[in-house]
Amino acid sequence: MANSTKISRRNFMQQSALWAAAFAGVGTLAPGRAMAAREKELNILCWEGYNSAQVLDPFRTEKGATVKAESLTNDPTMINRLRAGETNVWDLINVNNPWAREVMFPEKLITPLDRARFEPFFDKMMPAFKPPYKWAMDDSGTQLIGMAQRFGPYSFVVNMDKVSRQTAEDQGWNLWNDPAVAGKYGILESDDWNVFNICLIAGFDPFKVHSDEEVAKFKETAERVFKGAKVVGDIATMNQALISGEIDFHMTGGTYSASPARADGNPNIRGITPKSGPMNGKGGVSWIEITSTVNNPQLSPLAADFLEFVQSPKMSHTVAFAEGTFNPVAQMGNPECFNLFTKEELDAIQWDSLEEEMARCVEYDIVPDYAKLLDIMTAAKRAASGG
Amino acid sequence: MFKPMSAGFRSASPVLLFLLIGFAAPLLAVIWFSFMPPRSFSFGGAPTFENYRTIFESTTYISFLWSLGLAVTTVVLLALICYPVAYGMVRVFGKWAMLVTLLFTIPLFVSENIRLYGWVLFLIKNGVLLGTLKSWFGFELESMLFSVPAIILGMVYVYLPFMLFPMTLGISMVPNETRDAAFDLGASRWQVFKEVELPLSMPGIVIGFLLTFVLAIGAIAEAKVLGGQAVIPITQDIEIAFTYSQNWPLGAAIAVLLMLIVGVLVVLALRRFDLDSFLGRR
Amino acid sequence: MQGAEPILSLKAVRKMFGPQAAVDSIDLDIAEGEFFTIVGPSGSGKTTMLRMLAGMDTPTSGDILLNGKRINDVPANKRPTCMVFQSLALFPHRTVGQNIEFPLKIRGEDPERRKARALQLMDLLRLPQSYYAKNVLKCSGGERQRVALARALAYDPQILFFDEPLSAIDYKLRKTLEKELKDIHRETKKTFVYITHSLEEAMVMSDRIGVMRAGKLVQVGTPQEIYSTPNTRFVSEFVGDVNVIPVTLGSDGLLHSPTGATYKPPRIPPGFRDGHLVIRPEYLKFLASPGEADNAISGSLYNEYALGSRIQYQVRVGETVFVVEKLRQQPFTGQLDDTVTIGWDAQDAILVTD
Repeated sequence: MANSTKISRRNFMQQSALWAAAFAGVGTLAPGRAMAAREKELNILCWEGYNSAQVLDPFRTEKGATVKAESLTNDPTMINRLRAGETNVWDLINVNNPWAREVMFPEKLITPLDRARFEPFFDKMMPAFKPPYKWAMDDSGTQLIGMAQRFGPYSFVVNMDKVSRQTAEDQGWNLWNDPAVAGKYGILESDDWNVFNICLIAGFDPFKVHSDEEVAKFKETAERVFKGAKVVGDIATMNQALISGEIDFHMTGGTYSASPARADGNPNIRGITPKSGPMNGKGGVSWIEITSTVNNPQLSPLAADFLEFVQSPKMSHTVAFAEGTFNPVAQMGNPECFNLFTKEELDAIQWDSLEEEMARCVEYDIVPDYAKLLDIMTAAKRAASGG
Repeated sequence: MFKPMSAGFRSASPVLLFLLIGFAAPLLAVIWFSFMPPRSFSFGGAPTFENYRTIFESTTYISFLWSLGLAVTTVVLLALICYPVAYGMVRVFGKWAMLVTLLFTIPLFVSENIRLYGWVLFLIKNGVLLGTLKSWFGFELESMLFSVPAIILGMVYVYLPFMLFPMTLGISMVPNETRDAAFDLGASRWQVFKEVELPLSMPGIVIGFLLTFVLAIGAIAEAKVLGGQAVIPITQDIEIAFTYSQNWPLGAAIAVLLMLIVGVLVVLALRRFDLDSFLGRR
Repeated sequence: MQGAEPILSLKAVRKMFGPQAAVDSIDLDIAEGEFFTIVGPSGSGKTTMLRMLAGMDTPTSGDILLNGKRINDVPANKRPTCMVFQSLALFPHRTVGQNIEFPLKIRGEDPERRKARALQLMDLLRLPQSYYAKNVLKCSGGERQRVALARALAYDPQILFFDEPLSAIDYKLRKTLEKELKDIHRETKKTFVYITHSLEEAMVMSDRIGVMRAGKLVQVGTPQEIYSTPNTRFVSEFVGDVNVIPVTLGSDGLLHSPTGATYKPPRIPPGFRDGHLVIRPEYLKFLASPGEADNAISGSLYNEYALGSRIQYQVRVGETVFVVEKLRQQPFTGQLDDTVTIGWDAQDAILVTD
């Protein structure tokens, strides 16, 4: 009797699967690009913070604009989105210091800013940002190619109940060379920074081309460090693990990652900058975000307006304490801005030691043989997982 | 039988077009990209097997094995857990079955990540479980968080409904009178189960197996959140290739291999457990 | 007929569902080799009763005896009885042969003997041998009936129960299968207990019929007894179209209807005071003059209906409608709306209580 009903169960399943896949596919096909007049729309590709409602809503209200912001957690991904043709989607890109000057501007992925309009803002920033500020300028030193705001030291984080600040700063990256720490630490899943830090633990400067000997040392160190890690995870996991006592300290971290835990009543969680290290004696790495206008054929006029908007003392304070992560901002050099910070907020971002920590840091730079080192590190992670 | 422009074809063509654009096109794009030179970002390069060679020369197989192992373990555990529950929902719980269904369904409305972080808070040192044990009973246990069992716990938890509901459907498809008839013809409870209930509920069981297997082999959040990356599943290798490593062609190649493996396994399973023959249509 | 010890005996069997008695104090004996049919409208409790007999339900009170032994608590798989279900409940994932052999396989018989027995039963039920390996879902409705019966017979039960297996089958095939079933009954000499809502079906096949209403057996008897001497208005109406007149027995020995008419009574049951006078349509006659029958009524001819070998006439007497049936070969010649006289002889009617 069932001869006529040829829709078998299997066919039905196959059909359902195709439909499901089709619907999933549609999502990826519609990146929401409106090519019409872009006076009232602004698209921002950024690190977490600039995409928060606290920052965007006042701007939306003031300009009556539609603002879309997407946050990603590493620089190369954002830059390659532009390389893959998304320059006609985005208006602003917010990445760490070297990329604008060394990569995006030479590749014509971003455009220069009006120097006369924007350079005066640097005058009001902290002394380190006095114009012409290196990372905001092109190689020739003539074009202003981005604005600075958030920054911070970024090395590692400890629970001071387990490891004192003194010990951590003195030991520096050697902390990981002590076999006794295996199983007591975590690793933040920021693999680009992990490449730097494995180099530092191995005892050489990350920001240069590495010898075969150094690469071999890197491999050995990566395998050992990942093998000894109790957990690899995101910022929330790291802070949770520190607070609960699962781990005593974790690699890759600083004010950016520790501030939420500190603000949440855990002053024993603290970002550490080593007192010394293999980078001309320095052991810490710091980052400075540079926000640039994308080389969009239909760049929204709101892009420059937004850059200006977030320079105000009030908005700078908001950016510093946007949801998710809290950071010092260059605009704190202006007393009008600095006075907006409460004692608790200054405590969360480790203001007391910020200047000396920054002095112990080299600034984030591009690792020339990053791809090779990352592949080695990825393989080391896999090997650590019991291969 | 198929005339090229039959009415059926013409009315189905919008759907076909939709499938072509929405499903086939992205898939072909991924496949094509997997043959592009490493670390390139356009479709224009000269096709190469370089990415596949890289995969076969590296330790990526470890990730494949982890993903397969975790998925198989999850499916087996789910089968053992879900069959009794599904059986109970159809035959035993009566009006309570609705409540059980709701209990299993409501968590689906909460994001998977949030549920997994919930488990982190539950399992973490001094968390809900260990903290309570410590303060109430005074003994301190080693936390099981950031380990393979934690990952499996998370996967079983997350994919449970996808096994349970097809199984429930499968068991409810067995007519009561057919079971009664077998019993009346002298079969013991076990024989009724073995001869009638199990084979007749097979379609639901197989669908549950396939569904959870395909989902579980694509799992990533459990290994990241609950496993603390104690193991690297293949999906995370794909993610690393597309993010930190910025080697899109390599990521595409791993994805293609994963699709191949899953596809072959599913086809094999469907041949072994021909759903049609379970329904008696040979 | 019930000389020997009954094979199946019900003693005050009752089944409660909450406060409701689905089966209410039934006493019944069924003889070995009998084809016994329980008839009743849906909800009368007949399926519940059959499930208790087959062992799929247990009585709330009372006893069920098989060959004199109490079997209330013996589960279905331990009883030497077998049921053919309304849905047939064939195993859809099995072939015809596997279905028939199922009870033998359960019993652990070796495959060759199983097959031999299956083929033998297929022969008995006129299923072609080539069907042995055919999937049962590919069989027609009638073939499936036979497979279900063969499977039940393979169990070699002492009693075969049937739960309305023919209810979903079209009229023509049903008629054929009814006769076949009766033939199988004759061939196998087994006890058949059959339930149906169709008295017509029961009449064709059964040795005896029990009529159920609201959990009670209201009448048990041969098809002839049920047809000609129903003991209640319910049973009489269950048989088919009948003429029913509410009556009271007067001191004059006549029956008085509420309209004031009086009728000569048939045999009066002991203690009868009031009830209904039942006249089957074939016992009503068109009269040339009122004196031709014991009782006569005048009315107008409203309509006529051809019913195969018979023709039914509707005669309206005031508010009441009477049906009269005649053989096709001897039709009534009157015109519609003619005034006609109909009547019956006193002994052709039946008096029933309630």
